[in-house]
Amino acid sequence: MQALLEYAIVGGVLYGIFFGLVAVGLNLIFGVMRIINLAHGEFVILGGFGAYWLSTSLGLNPLWGLPLAALGAVVIGFPLYYAVVPGLQRSRDPEMLSFILFFGLAQIIDAIISLGFGPDQRSLPDEALGGGTISVLGQAFPDSWWVAAGVAILAIMGLWLYLTRTRLGFATRAIMANRDEAFATGIAVDRVSAIAFVIGLALAGAAGVFVPYLQGSVAPGIGNNLTTTSFAILIIGSLGNPVGTLFGGLVFGVGSMLMQTFYASWSDLVPYVLLVVIVLLRPQGLFGKAVRNA
Amino acid sequence: MSALLEVDKVEAGYGAVQVLWGCDMVVNKGETVLLLGVNGAGKTTLLRTLVGLQPCRGGAIRLAGEDVTGLGPDARIRRGMAYMSELGVFPTLSIAENLRLGAYGASNAEARRRAEAMYQMFPALAQKRRSAAGSLSGGQRKMLGLAKALMSGAEMIFMDEPSSGLAPVFVTQVIETLKGVIGGGTSLLIAEQNIAFLELADRGYLMDHGKMAVSGTRAELESSDAVRRAYFGVGAEG
Repeated sequence: MQALLEYAIVGGVLYGIFFGLVAVGLNLIFGVMRIINLAHGEFVILGGFGAYWLSTSLGLNPLWGLPLAALGAVVIGFPLYYAVVPGLQRSRDPEMLSFILFFGLAQIIDAIISLGFGPDQRSLPDEALGGGTISVLGQAFPDSWWVAAGVAILAIMGLWLYLTRTRLGFATRAIMANRDEAFATGIAVDRVSAIAFVIGLALAGAAGVFVPYLQGSVAPGIGNNLTTTSFAILIIGSLGNPVGTLFGGLVFGVGSMLMQTFYASWSDLVPYVLLVVIVLLRPQGLFGKAVRNA
Repeated sequence: MSALLEVDKVEAGYGAVQVLWGCDMVVNKGETVLLLGVNGAGKTTLLRTLVGLQPCRGGAIRLAGEDVTGLGPDARIRRGMAYMSELGVFPTLSIAENLRLGAYGASNAEARRRAEAMYQMFPALAQKRRSAAGSLSGGQRKMLGLAKALMSGAEMIFMDEPSSGLAPVFVTQVIETLKGVIGGGTSLLIAEQNIAFLELADRGYLMDHGKMAVSGTRAELESSDAVRRAYFGVGAEG
Protein backbone atom coordinates (compact mmCIF):
# COMPACT_ATOMS: atom_id res chain seq x y z
CA MET A 1 0.00 0.00 0.00
CA GLN A 2 2.70 2.47 1.03
CA ALA A 3 4.87 1.47 -1.90
CA LEU A 4 1.95 2.07 -4.23
CA LEU A 5 1.36 5.48 -2.71
CA GLU A 6 5.03 6.39 -3.06
CA TYR A 7 4.99 5.15 -6.64
CA ALA A 8 1.98 7.32 -7.42
CA ILE A 9 3.49 10.42 -5.80
CA VAL A 10 6.97 10.19 -7.34
CA GLY A 11 5.48 9.33 -10.72
CA GLY A 12 2.85 12.02 -10.33
CA VAL A 13 5.44 14.70 -9.64
CA LEU A 14 7.44 13.76 -12.76
CA TYR A 15 4.32 13.42 -14.88
CA GLY A 16 2.98 16.69 -13.49
CA ILE A 17 6.15 18.68 -14.17
CA PHE A 18 6.06 17.40 -17.74
CA PHE A 19 2.42 18.43 -18.07
CA GLY A 20 3.34 21.86 -16.74
CA LEU A 21 5.47 22.18 -19.89
CA VAL A 22 2.64 20.82 -22.06
CA ALA A 23 0.28 23.50 -20.73
CA VAL A 24 2.55 26.52 -20.28
CA GLY A 25 2.50 27.56 -23.94
CA LEU A 26 -1.30 27.61 -23.95
CA ASN A 27 -1.19 29.81 -20.85
CA LEU A 28 1.21 32.28 -22.46
CA ILE A 29 -0.79 32.52 -25.70
CA PHE A 30 -4.10 32.87 -23.88
CA GLY A 31 -2.69 35.52 -21.56
CA VAL A 32 -1.34 37.65 -24.38
CA MET A 33 -3.89 37.14 -27.15
CA ARG A 34 -7.01 36.27 -25.10
CA ILE A 35 -7.75 33.40 -27.40
CA ILE A 36 -7.80 29.70 -26.63
CA ASN A 37 -5.46 28.08 -29.09
CA LEU A 38 -7.62 25.03 -29.83
CA ALA A 39 -4.78 23.68 -31.95
CA HIS A 40 -2.43 23.67 -28.95
CA GLY A 41 -2.45 19.88 -28.58
CA GLU A 42 -1.74 19.50 -32.30
CA PHE A 43 1.36 21.67 -31.97
CA VAL A 44 2.46 19.41 -29.09
CA ILE A 45 1.99 16.37 -31.33
CA LEU A 46 3.87 18.06 -34.16
CA GLY A 47 6.83 18.23 -31.77
CA GLY A 48 6.42 14.52 -31.05
CA PHE A 49 6.38 13.60 -34.74
CA GLY A 50 9.31 15.91 -35.35
CA ALA A 51 11.33 13.98 -32.79
CA TYR A 52 10.11 10.69 -34.30
CA TRP A 53 11.18 11.80 -37.77
CA LEU A 54 14.63 12.93 -36.56
CA SER A 55 15.07 9.62 -34.76
CA THR A 56 13.85 7.19 -37.42
CA SER A 57 14.74 8.96 -40.68
CA LEU A 58 17.94 10.77 -39.73
CA GLY A 59 19.08 8.51 -36.89
CA LEU A 60 19.49 11.49 -34.57
CA ASN A 61 18.80 11.62 -30.85
CA PRO A 62 15.15 12.67 -30.30
CA LEU A 63 16.40 15.51 -28.09
CA TRP A 64 17.33 17.29 -31.35
CA GLY A 65 13.57 17.70 -31.51
CA LEU A 66 13.92 20.57 -29.00
CA PRO A 67 15.83 22.92 -31.32
CA LEU A 68 13.65 21.67 -34.19
CA ALA A 69 10.56 22.71 -32.20
CA ALA A 70 12.02 26.18 -31.67
CA LEU A 71 12.88 26.50 -35.36
CA GLY A 72 9.48 25.18 -36.42
CA ALA A 73 7.72 27.61 -34.09
CA VAL A 74 9.55 30.54 -35.70
CA VAL A 75 8.84 29.31 -39.25
CA ILE A 76 5.15 28.56 -38.57
CA GLY A 77 4.38 31.00 -35.78
CA PHE A 78 5.30 34.41 -37.21
CA PRO A 79 3.48 33.99 -40.56
CA LEU A 80 0.51 32.39 -38.79
CA TYR A 81 0.26 35.24 -36.30
CA TYR A 82 0.40 37.95 -38.93
CA ALA A 83 -2.00 36.05 -41.22
CA VAL A 84 -4.59 35.44 -38.53
CA VAL A 85 -4.53 38.25 -35.98
CA PRO A 86 -5.21 41.32 -38.14
CA GLY A 87 -8.27 39.55 -39.55
CA LEU A 88 -9.42 38.60 -36.06
CA GLN A 89 -9.05 42.17 -34.84
CA ARG A 90 -11.15 43.49 -37.70
CA SER A 91 -13.97 41.01 -37.04
CA ARG A 92 -17.02 41.73 -34.92
CA ASP A 93 -16.58 38.74 -32.62
CA PRO A 94 -12.87 37.92 -32.46
CA GLU A 95 -13.21 35.33 -29.69
CA MET A 96 -15.78 33.17 -31.48
CA LEU A 97 -13.94 33.52 -34.77
CA SER A 98 -10.67 32.50 -33.12
CA PHE A 99 -12.33 29.36 -31.75
CA ILE A 100 -13.49 28.34 -35.21
CA LEU A 101 -10.21 29.31 -36.81
CA PHE A 102 -7.98 27.37 -34.44
CA PHE A 103 -10.38 24.41 -34.43
CA GLY A 104 -10.00 24.31 -38.21
CA LEU A 105 -6.24 24.65 -37.90
CA ALA A 106 -6.19 21.68 -35.50
CA GLN A 107 -8.00 19.54 -38.08
CA ILE A 108 -5.58 20.62 -40.80
CA ILE A 109 -2.52 19.76 -38.70
CA ASP A 110 -4.04 16.39 -37.79
CA ALA A 111 -4.70 15.64 -41.43
CA ILE A 112 -1.20 16.66 -42.49
CA ILE A 113 0.36 14.46 -39.80
CA SER A 114 -1.82 11.54 -40.90
CA LEU A 115 -0.77 12.08 -44.52
CA GLY A 116 2.88 12.26 -43.60
CA PHE A 117 3.15 9.55 -40.97
CA GLY A 118 -0.02 7.47 -41.28
CA PRO A 119 -2.60 6.97 -38.55
CA ASP A 120 -0.50 4.61 -36.40
CA GLN A 121 0.82 5.16 -32.92
CA ARG A 122 4.54 5.86 -32.95
CA SER A 123 6.95 5.35 -30.09
CA LEU A 124 10.63 6.12 -29.57
CA PRO A 125 13.43 3.93 -28.16
CA ASP A 126 14.02 4.37 -24.43
CA GLU A 127 17.81 4.04 -24.91
CA ALA A 128 17.94 7.37 -26.68
CA LEU A 129 17.29 9.16 -23.38
CA GLY A 130 19.39 6.87 -21.22
CA GLY A 131 17.53 3.59 -21.17
CA GLY A 132 18.03 2.99 -17.45
CA THR A 133 16.00 3.99 -14.46
CA ILE A 134 16.48 6.38 -11.57
CA SER A 135 14.95 5.54 -8.21
CA VAL A 136 13.59 7.84 -5.54
CA LEU A 137 12.01 6.40 -2.39
CA GLY A 138 12.67 3.01 -3.94
CA GLN A 139 10.45 3.79 -6.89
CA ALA A 140 12.20 3.39 -10.24
CA PHE A 141 11.18 5.51 -13.21
CA PRO A 142 12.76 5.52 -16.66
CA ASP A 143 15.53 8.01 -17.37
CA SER A 144 13.30 9.54 -20.05
CA TRP A 145 10.82 10.68 -17.39
CA TRP A 146 13.59 12.42 -15.46
CA VAL A 147 14.98 14.02 -18.61
CA ALA A 148 11.49 15.26 -19.51
CA ALA A 149 10.96 16.74 -16.04
CA GLY A 150 14.41 18.36 -16.11
CA VAL A 151 13.84 19.94 -19.52
CA ALA A 152 10.37 21.07 -18.42
CA ILE A 153 11.74 22.84 -15.34
CA LEU A 154 14.53 24.50 -17.35
CA ALA A 155 12.07 25.67 -20.01
CA ILE A 156 9.56 27.02 -17.50
CA MET A 157 12.29 28.79 -15.52
CA GLY A 158 13.62 30.22 -18.78
CA LEU A 159 10.18 31.58 -19.58
CA TRP A 160 9.87 33.00 -16.07
CA LEU A 161 13.22 34.78 -16.43
CA TYR A 162 12.14 36.16 -19.81
CA LEU A 163 8.91 37.51 -18.32
CA THR A 164 10.43 39.00 -15.16
CA ARG A 165 13.92 40.11 -16.23
CA THR A 166 13.69 41.49 -19.76
CA ARG A 167 12.05 44.50 -21.34
CA LEU A 168 10.14 42.31 -23.81
CA GLY A 169 9.01 40.16 -20.89
CA PHE A 170 7.71 43.22 -19.00
CA ALA A 171 5.92 44.24 -22.18
CA THR A 172 4.42 40.76 -22.52
CA ARG A 173 3.04 40.93 -18.98
CA ALA A 174 1.84 44.47 -19.60
CA ILE A 175 -0.18 43.24 -22.59
CA MET A 176 -1.62 40.46 -20.41
CA ALA A 177 -2.60 43.04 -17.80
CA ASN A 178 -4.16 45.58 -20.14
CA ARG A 179 -3.76 45.58 -23.91
CA ASP A 180 -5.10 49.12 -24.32
CA GLU A 181 -2.72 50.55 -21.73
CA ALA A 182 0.09 48.68 -23.49
CA PHE A 183 -0.74 50.48 -26.75
CA ALA A 184 -1.01 53.77 -24.82
CA THR A 185 2.47 53.22 -23.38
CA GLY A 186 4.05 52.88 -26.82
CA ILE A 187 4.70 49.15 -26.66
CA ALA A 188 4.90 47.49 -30.08
CA VAL A 189 1.99 45.28 -29.07
CA ASP A 190 1.81 43.23 -32.27
CA ARG A 191 5.52 42.44 -32.33
CA VAL A 192 5.61 41.48 -28.63
CA SER A 193 2.44 39.36 -29.02
CA ALA A 194 3.87 37.60 -32.09
CA ILE A 195 7.01 36.73 -30.12
CA ALA A 196 4.87 35.38 -27.26
CA PHE A 197 2.86 33.32 -29.76
CA VAL A 198 6.06 31.82 -31.19
CA ILE A 199 7.45 31.08 -27.70
CA GLY A 200 4.14 29.41 -26.80
CA LEU A 201 4.29 27.20 -29.89
CA ALA A 202 7.97 26.37 -29.27
CA LEU A 203 7.18 25.27 -25.71
CA ALA A 204 4.29 23.13 -26.98
CA GLY A 205 6.54 21.49 -29.57
CA ALA A 206 9.29 20.95 -26.99
CA ALA A 207 6.80 19.18 -24.71
CA GLY A 208 5.76 17.05 -27.67
CA VAL A 209 9.27 15.58 -27.94
CA PHE A 210 8.59 13.73 -24.69
CA VAL A 211 5.01 12.65 -25.43
CA PRO A 212 6.15 9.29 -26.94
CA TYR A 213 7.91 8.57 -23.64
CA LEU A 214 5.44 9.86 -21.07
CA GLN A 215 2.29 8.75 -22.94
CA GLY A 216 3.83 5.62 -24.42
CA SER A 217 3.32 6.78 -28.00
CA VAL A 218 2.29 9.67 -30.20
CA ALA A 219 -0.50 9.45 -32.77
CA PRO A 220 -2.55 11.92 -34.79
CA GLY A 221 -5.84 12.62 -33.03
CA ILE A 222 -4.58 12.71 -29.44
CA GLY A 223 -4.14 16.49 -29.65
CA ASN A 224 -7.69 17.15 -28.52
CA ASN A 225 -7.09 15.48 -25.20
CA LEU A 226 -3.84 17.35 -24.70
CA THR A 227 -5.59 20.66 -25.35
CA THR A 228 -8.31 19.90 -22.80
CA THR A 229 -5.83 18.69 -20.20
CA SER A 230 -3.68 21.77 -20.77
CA PHE A 231 -6.70 23.97 -20.33
CA ALA A 232 -7.54 22.27 -17.02
CA ILE A 233 -3.95 22.73 -15.81
CA LEU A 234 -3.92 26.36 -16.85
CA ILE A 235 -7.13 27.00 -14.90
CA ILE A 236 -5.80 25.16 -11.83
CA GLY A 237 -2.57 27.14 -11.85
CA SER A 238 -4.14 30.45 -12.86
CA LEU A 239 -3.41 32.55 -15.91
CA GLY A 240 -0.32 34.48 -16.80
CA ASN A 241 2.09 32.83 -14.41
CA PRO A 242 4.35 30.05 -15.73
CA VAL A 243 5.22 28.98 -12.19
CA GLY A 244 1.50 28.67 -11.52
CA THR A 245 1.19 26.39 -14.55
CA LEU A 246 3.96 24.20 -13.17
CA PHE A 247 1.98 23.99 -9.93
CA GLY A 248 -1.21 23.19 -11.87
CA GLY A 249 0.68 20.44 -13.66
CA LEU A 250 1.77 18.97 -10.33
CA VAL A 251 -1.81 18.93 -9.02
CA PHE A 252 -2.95 17.23 -12.21
CA GLY A 253 0.01 14.82 -12.34
CA VAL A 254 -0.22 13.60 -8.76
CA GLY A 255 -4.02 13.45 -8.97
CA SER A 256 -3.87 11.40 -12.19
CA MET A 257 -1.24 9.02 -10.87
CA LEU A 258 -3.12 8.44 -7.62
CA MET A 259 -6.26 7.65 -9.59
CA GLN A 260 -4.40 5.40 -12.03
CA THR A 261 -2.86 3.53 -9.13
CA PHE A 262 -5.96 3.08 -7.03
CA TYR A 263 -8.99 3.57 -9.32
CA ALA A 264 -7.53 3.18 -12.79
CA SER A 265 -10.83 3.22 -14.66
CA TRP A 266 -11.66 6.65 -13.26
CA SER A 267 -8.33 8.31 -13.97
CA ASP A 268 -9.34 9.88 -17.29
CA LEU A 269 -11.86 11.97 -15.39
CA VAL A 270 -9.19 13.73 -13.30
CA PRO A 271 -8.56 16.79 -15.49
CA TYR A 272 -12.25 17.41 -16.08
CA VAL A 273 -13.27 17.02 -12.44
CA LEU A 274 -10.42 19.30 -11.38
CA LEU A 275 -11.47 21.81 -14.02
CA VAL A 276 -15.08 21.93 -12.81
CA VAL A 277 -14.17 22.00 -9.13
CA ILE A 278 -11.61 24.80 -9.55
CA VAL A 279 -13.87 26.93 -11.71
CA LEU A 280 -16.68 26.62 -9.15
CA LEU A 281 -14.64 27.06 -5.97
CA ARG A 282 -11.70 29.24 -6.95
CA PRO A 283 -12.09 30.74 -10.43
CA GLN A 284 -8.88 32.78 -10.11
CA GLY A 285 -6.92 29.50 -9.86
CA LEU A 286 -5.09 28.03 -6.88
CA PHE A 287 -2.19 30.34 -7.63
CA GLY A 288 -4.34 33.39 -8.32
CA LYS A 289 -2.84 35.66 -5.71
CA ALA A 290 0.69 35.14 -6.96
CA VAL A 291 -0.35 36.32 -10.41
CA ARG A 292 -1.43 39.69 -9.15
CA ASN A 293 1.96 40.19 -7.56
CA ALA A 294 3.97 38.64 -10.36
CA MET B 1 6.32 80.51 -29.95
CA SER B 2 6.22 77.69 -32.47
CA ALA B 3 3.51 75.08 -32.70
CA LEU B 4 4.44 71.58 -31.50
CA LEU B 5 1.05 69.95 -31.94
CA GLU B 6 -1.41 71.01 -34.61
CA VAL B 7 -4.87 69.48 -34.66
CA ASP B 8 -6.72 70.28 -37.86
CA LYS B 9 -10.48 69.55 -38.18
CA VAL B 10 -10.15 66.13 -36.53
CA GLU B 11 -13.15 63.78 -36.68
CA ALA B 12 -13.46 60.49 -34.78
CA GLY B 13 -16.03 58.13 -33.31
CA TYR B 14 -17.00 54.61 -32.37
CA GLY B 15 -18.94 52.55 -34.90
CA ALA B 16 -21.92 54.55 -36.12
CA VAL B 17 -21.52 57.16 -33.37
CA GLN B 18 -19.48 60.21 -34.28
CA VAL B 19 -17.88 61.83 -31.23
CA LEU B 20 -15.50 64.48 -32.56
CA TRP B 21 -16.77 67.03 -35.05
CA GLY B 22 -13.93 68.95 -36.68
CA CYS B 23 -11.76 69.76 -33.66
CA ASP B 24 -9.03 72.38 -34.11
CA MET B 25 -6.29 72.89 -31.57
CA VAL B 26 -2.71 74.08 -31.21
CA VAL B 27 -0.21 73.36 -28.45
CA ASN B 28 3.02 75.35 -28.59
CA LYS B 29 6.44 74.22 -27.44
CA GLY B 30 6.73 74.24 -23.64
CA GLU B 31 3.13 75.29 -23.20
CA THR B 32 0.56 73.87 -20.80
CA VAL B 33 -2.91 73.67 -22.29
CA LEU B 34 -6.04 72.64 -20.41
CA LEU B 35 -8.83 70.80 -22.19
CA LEU B 36 -11.97 71.42 -20.18
CA GLY B 37 -15.32 69.77 -20.60
CA VAL B 38 -17.94 67.77 -18.75
CA ASN B 39 -18.12 63.98 -18.83
CA GLY B 40 -18.98 62.84 -22.35
CA ALA B 41 -17.81 66.04 -24.05
CA GLY B 42 -15.23 64.05 -26.05
CA LYS B 43 -12.02 64.87 -24.16
CA THR B 44 -10.84 61.27 -23.81
CA THR B 45 -11.73 60.49 -27.43
CA LEU B 46 -9.74 63.51 -28.59
CA LEU B 47 -6.65 62.50 -26.58
CA ARG B 48 -6.94 58.89 -27.74
CA THR B 49 -7.21 60.08 -31.35
CA LEU B 50 -4.19 62.36 -30.95
CA VAL B 51 -1.98 59.53 -29.67
CA GLY B 52 -3.34 57.04 -32.23
CA LEU B 53 -5.41 54.74 -30.02
CA GLN B 54 -8.53 55.76 -31.91
CA PRO B 55 -8.61 56.07 -35.70
CA CYS B 56 -8.82 59.58 -37.07
CA ARG B 57 -11.72 59.65 -39.55
CA GLY B 58 -11.04 63.09 -40.91
CA GLY B 59 -8.65 66.01 -40.59
CA ALA B 60 -4.97 65.87 -39.71
CA ILE B 61 -2.67 65.71 -36.70
CA ARG B 62 0.84 67.15 -36.97
CA LEU B 63 3.67 66.85 -34.46
CA ALA B 64 6.52 69.32 -34.96
CA GLY B 65 5.29 69.85 -38.50
CA GLU B 66 5.21 66.16 -39.41
CA ASP B 67 1.85 64.61 -40.32
CA VAL B 68 1.37 61.67 -37.94
CA THR B 69 -2.32 61.02 -38.74
CA GLY B 70 -1.65 57.64 -40.35
CA LEU B 71 0.79 56.35 -37.72
CA GLY B 72 0.06 53.85 -34.94
CA PRO B 73 0.49 54.75 -31.27
CA ASP B 74 3.93 53.14 -30.97
CA ALA B 75 5.25 55.16 -33.93
CA ARG B 76 3.75 58.42 -32.58
CA ILE B 77 5.17 57.77 -29.11
CA ARG B 78 8.61 57.13 -30.65
CA ARG B 79 8.34 60.56 -32.31
CA GLY B 80 7.87 62.32 -28.98
CA MET B 81 4.33 61.90 -27.72
CA ALA B 82 3.29 60.30 -24.43
CA TYR B 83 -0.13 59.53 -23.06
CA MET B 84 -1.12 59.16 -19.42
CA SER B 85 -4.45 57.35 -19.44
CA GLU B 86 -6.94 57.50 -16.59
CA LEU B 87 -5.61 54.12 -15.48
CA GLY B 88 -2.06 55.31 -16.07
CA VAL B 89 -0.17 52.22 -14.86
CA PHE B 90 -0.03 48.43 -15.13
CA PRO B 91 -1.28 47.36 -11.67
CA THR B 92 0.23 43.84 -11.88
CA LEU B 93 3.71 45.11 -12.73
CA SER B 94 6.16 46.57 -10.25
CA ILE B 95 6.92 50.28 -10.11
CA ALA B 96 10.36 49.70 -11.65
CA GLU B 97 8.82 47.63 -14.46
CA ASN B 98 6.18 50.30 -15.13
CA LEU B 99 8.90 52.92 -15.42
CA ARG B 100 10.98 50.72 -17.74
CA LEU B 101 8.01 50.35 -20.08
CA GLY B 102 7.42 54.09 -19.97
CA ALA B 103 10.78 54.41 -21.73
CA TYR B 104 9.98 51.49 -24.05
CA GLY B 105 12.10 52.67 -26.97
CA ALA B 106 15.13 53.61 -24.86
CA SER B 107 18.16 51.44 -24.10
CA ASN B 108 18.44 49.75 -20.69
CA ALA B 109 21.17 52.15 -19.57
CA GLU B 110 19.21 55.22 -20.66
CA ALA B 111 16.03 53.89 -19.00
CA ARG B 112 17.95 53.32 -15.75
CA ARG B 113 19.28 56.87 -15.84
CA ARG B 114 15.80 58.31 -16.40
CA ALA B 115 14.29 56.08 -13.68
CA GLU B 116 16.81 57.41 -11.15
CA ALA B 117 15.73 60.95 -12.05
CA MET B 118 12.10 59.91 -11.45
CA TYR B 119 12.93 58.38 -8.08
CA GLN B 120 14.56 61.69 -7.10
CA MET B 121 11.47 63.56 -8.18
CA PHE B 122 9.07 61.08 -6.50
CA PRO B 123 10.83 59.70 -3.40
CA ALA B 124 7.69 57.78 -2.37
CA LEU B 125 8.08 55.64 -5.51
CA ALA B 126 11.76 54.97 -4.83
CA GLN B 127 10.95 53.21 -1.57
CA LYS B 128 8.54 50.86 -3.30
CA ARG B 129 10.25 50.17 -6.61
CA ARG B 130 9.80 46.39 -6.31
CA SER B 131 6.14 46.60 -5.21
CA ALA B 132 3.23 46.08 -7.57
CA ALA B 133 1.77 49.34 -8.86
CA GLY B 134 -1.63 48.01 -7.76
CA SER B 135 -0.52 48.26 -4.13
CA LEU B 136 -0.07 52.05 -4.36
CA SER B 137 -2.65 54.53 -3.10
CA GLY B 138 -4.69 56.47 -5.67
CA GLY B 139 -2.50 59.56 -5.38
CA GLN B 140 0.73 57.57 -5.64
CA ARG B 141 -0.66 55.76 -8.66
CA LYS B 142 -1.16 59.10 -10.42
CA MET B 143 2.44 60.01 -9.53
CA LEU B 144 3.60 56.74 -11.07
CA GLY B 145 1.42 57.36 -14.12
CA LEU B 146 3.02 60.78 -14.52
CA ALA B 147 6.52 59.37 -13.95
CA LYS B 148 5.83 56.62 -16.51
CA ALA B 149 4.76 59.24 -19.07
CA LEU B 150 7.83 61.40 -18.28
CA MET B 151 10.09 58.34 -18.71
CA SER B 152 9.42 58.49 -22.44
CA GLY B 153 11.28 61.79 -22.63
CA ALA B 154 8.37 63.03 -24.76
CA GLU B 155 8.06 66.68 -25.78
CA MET B 156 4.27 66.41 -25.88
CA ILE B 157 2.44 64.72 -23.00
CA PHE B 158 -1.30 64.11 -23.00
CA MET B 159 -2.91 63.57 -19.60
CA ASP B 160 -6.41 62.18 -19.25
CA GLU B 161 -8.16 63.26 -16.02
CA PRO B 162 -5.21 63.26 -13.62
CA SER B 163 -7.67 64.10 -10.83
CA SER B 164 -10.08 61.22 -11.45
CA GLY B 165 -10.85 59.09 -8.44
CA LEU B 166 -8.82 61.26 -6.09
CA ALA B 167 -9.91 62.98 -2.89
CA PRO B 168 -9.56 66.81 -3.05
CA VAL B 169 -6.41 66.83 -0.92
CA PHE B 170 -4.70 64.51 -3.42
CA VAL B 171 -5.93 66.61 -6.34
CA THR B 172 -4.03 69.53 -4.80
CA GLN B 173 -0.99 67.26 -4.48
CA VAL B 174 -1.21 66.32 -8.19
CA ILE B 175 -1.45 70.00 -9.15
CA GLU B 176 1.61 70.83 -7.03
CA THR B 177 3.54 67.98 -8.66
CA LEU B 178 2.61 69.19 -12.14
CA LYS B 179 3.93 72.65 -11.27
CA GLY B 180 7.31 70.97 -10.87
CA VAL B 181 7.07 69.52 -14.39
CA ILE B 182 5.89 72.69 -16.10
CA GLY B 183 8.66 74.94 -17.34
CA GLY B 184 10.97 72.02 -18.07
CA GLY B 185 10.37 72.39 -21.81
CA THR B 186 7.69 69.70 -22.01
CA SER B 187 4.33 70.60 -23.52
CA LEU B 188 1.33 69.36 -21.57
CA LEU B 189 -2.23 68.90 -22.75
CA ILE B 190 -4.36 68.11 -19.70
CA ALA B 191 -7.97 66.93 -20.12
CA GLU B 192 -9.93 67.65 -16.98
CA GLN B 193 -13.40 68.35 -15.70
CA ASN B 194 -11.87 69.88 -12.60
CA ILE B 195 -11.55 73.65 -13.12
CA ALA B 196 -8.86 73.81 -10.42
CA PHE B 197 -6.33 72.76 -13.07
CA LEU B 198 -6.85 76.07 -14.87
CA GLU B 199 -4.25 77.66 -12.58
CA LEU B 200 -1.57 75.53 -14.29
CA ALA B 201 -2.51 76.45 -17.81
CA ASP B 202 -1.20 79.06 -20.24
CA ARG B 203 -4.25 78.54 -22.41
CA GLY B 204 -7.30 76.34 -22.55
CA TYR B 205 -10.12 74.93 -24.63
CA LEU B 206 -13.67 74.16 -23.55
CA MET B 207 -15.14 71.13 -25.29
CA ASP B 208 -18.85 70.59 -25.67
CA HIS B 209 -20.55 67.77 -27.58
CA GLY B 210 -17.39 66.92 -29.49
CA LYS B 211 -16.65 70.47 -30.63
CA MET B 212 -14.36 73.20 -29.39
CA ALA B 213 -16.81 75.66 -27.85
CA VAL B 214 -14.38 78.23 -26.42
CA SER B 215 -10.65 78.75 -26.55
CA GLY B 216 -8.41 81.38 -25.07
CA THR B 217 -5.80 82.29 -22.51
CA ARG B 218 -6.29 81.42 -18.87
CA ALA B 219 -7.62 84.91 -18.13
CA GLU B 220 -10.00 84.77 -21.06
CA LEU B 221 -11.37 81.40 -19.96
CA GLU B 222 -11.76 82.56 -16.37
CA SER B 223 -13.95 85.40 -17.55
CA SER B 224 -15.79 83.42 -20.24
CA ASP B 225 -19.54 83.13 -19.82
CA ALA B 226 -19.58 79.64 -21.31
CA VAL B 227 -16.98 78.42 -18.82
CA ARG B 228 -18.85 80.11 -16.00
CA ARG B 229 -22.06 78.41 -17.05
CA ALA B 230 -20.35 75.04 -17.39
CA TYR B 231 -18.39 75.25 -14.16
CA PHE B 232 -18.86 78.06 -11.72
CA GLY B 233 -22.65 78.09 -12.07
CA VAL B 234 -22.98 74.48 -11.03
CA GLY B 235 -19.83 74.34 -8.89
CA ALA B 236 -16.57 72.58 -9.71
CA GLU B 237 -16.72 68.83 -10.01
CA GLY B 238 -14.01 66.67 -8.60
